[in-house]
Amino acid sequence: MNARALPTEVFEPFHSALPPLKPYWRALWARRGFISEFSRSDLREKHFDSLFGQLWLILNPLLLSGVYFLLIVIIGGHSDKTRYAHLTACLFLFYAIANAMIGGVKSVTAGQRLILNTAFPRIMLPMSATLVSLIRFLPTIAVFLVIKGLLGLPFTFQMFWAIPIIAIAFLLGLGLAILFSCINVYFRDIATFLPYFNRSWLYLSPILYEASALKPELRPLEHINPLFPLLDSWSRVMVHGQAPSFSQLGISLLWALGFLIIGTYFFLSREREFAVRV
Amino acid sequence: MGDLAISVQNLNLIYKTTIDKRPTLKARMKSLGRGTKLTRIVHAVNDLSIDIPYGSVLGVVGANGAGKSTLMRVISGILPPTAGRVEVYGKVSTLLALGVGFNPSMSGRENVLLGGLAAGMSRSEIDKHFEEIADFAELGDAIDAPMRTYSSGMYARLGFSVAVTVRPDILIVDEALSTGDARFKEKSLNKMKELRSDARALILVSHALGTIQDMCNEVAWMHKGKLIQRGEPGKVVQAYQEFLEVGKSAVVDEDV
Repeated sequence: MNARALPTEVFEPFHSALPPLKPYWRALWARRGFISEFSRSDLREKHFDSLFGQLWLILNPLLLSGVYFLLIVIIGGHSDKTRYAHLTACLFLFYAIANAMIGGVKSVTAGQRLILNTAFPRIMLPMSATLVSLIRFLPTIAVFLVIKGLLGLPFTFQMFWAIPIIAIAFLLGLGLAILFSCINVYFRDIATFLPYFNRSWLYLSPILYEASALKPELRPLEHINPLFPLLDSWSRVMVHGQAPSFSQLGISLLWALGFLIIGTYFFLSREREFAVRV
Repeated sequence: MGDLAISVQNLNLIYKTTIDKRPTLKARMKSLGRGTKLTRIVHAVNDLSIDIPYGSVLGVVGANGAGKSTLMRVISGILPPTAGRVEVYGKVSTLLALGVGFNPSMSGRENVLLGGLAAGMSRSEIDKHFEEIADFAELGDAIDAPMRTYSSGMYARLGFSVAVTVRPDILIVDEALSTGDARFKEKSLNKMKELRSDARALILVSHALGTIQDMCNEVAWMHKGKLIQRGEPGKVVQAYQEFLEVGKSAVVDEDV
């Protein structure tokens, strides 16, 4: 062996809440291959790489939107094609975020073997889970566009606003996945509460109804529900083909960054003890 | 003796762990106000200093709960120390008690790839070694079957193959061989001897005192987080056996 003047690695106690961010980022970047490979393997394992697997990815949200449409028609008594398009578009995006959360929540505890045996930035695990939900979401956009065409709703260039909205949605999904995966290390039953939480969130968001149709008493929802401005912009862009309001887009971005920063801070300040906790 | 491979200086490791295997919010709420203790402080490593040079094969012995595995986790960067300092001069490959394979529903091939990527290897590096890994593990077609269909021996074989094939400067083997069959055990011992002659640093954590004496040129005995004795394999192992009051029996001697 050659004489080595400097150690390649030094492990010392940590005093600050966060690990040194620069080396952390470098270690994460060096392992970006893991994140893409993990999502590929995960999708393959769940057979989403096959024709029927793909079909199921599309069929599932489609059936869901059919069921909710039925509900609206029965309760509301009337409905039109715009309503159906709104419901479908918003439901697809909502489930993309919810799936990031559901997929992410167990990502750390499921990676137990890897955590106990390998030193790597743990945040890769919820990141991979979020990427899986993004890949699963993309084909549903195509489905929505077909539905929209069939319903004869207008296609405009404003619809390209969908791209930043999807980006914001996934920042939010990532923040939630990171936050919940960390909480799940300490409370393993969090995953059991998530479906109830998601169901309530679905009803509190402008999905089954349009944001403009909300009763004045319920208006404050707009300010406390991070999904409210996001889904409203999404519906405007995708269903009505209009430009979103910049204030709504800005607020959505702030919500998403807020969750991402809080989730990441929480995660990074705890991840060094995951090996004794999982 | 060669250059320094690992330098552990006054290492202390104290951690808090949950008493429940699976801590839940429900359990926490139910025990609210009862003052039940939910966490336990573990003093796993206590002011331990040890230097390991290249070319040495260090055996680590000690009763259960001596802090051996924890020490290995600190050396490989999985757990940060509570006090003290660990310097590592080179690339470490760990083969800790649980082996590879973190997702049992993925195939052996995918798990090897993911494990390697997580450890910071590049894809081409893993691809380059893959054939060798698969050959050494002797899994045949099973390499593409989900790992939940593997026996514990197959798990161990794959884990060992990964750890030794990636040509680490420092190899840590933590009781991972105990489940392999006699033939594979011999094969892996030969492989480790080969690595030993390459002037790498090898740390072998095992309860198999026979193997330790056969393989190592130095043995460290740990007890309750402290380094009790370090030196000639024969002497340390004997002292440890006297301490255990089991003497030299076939059970302790033969198993890896």
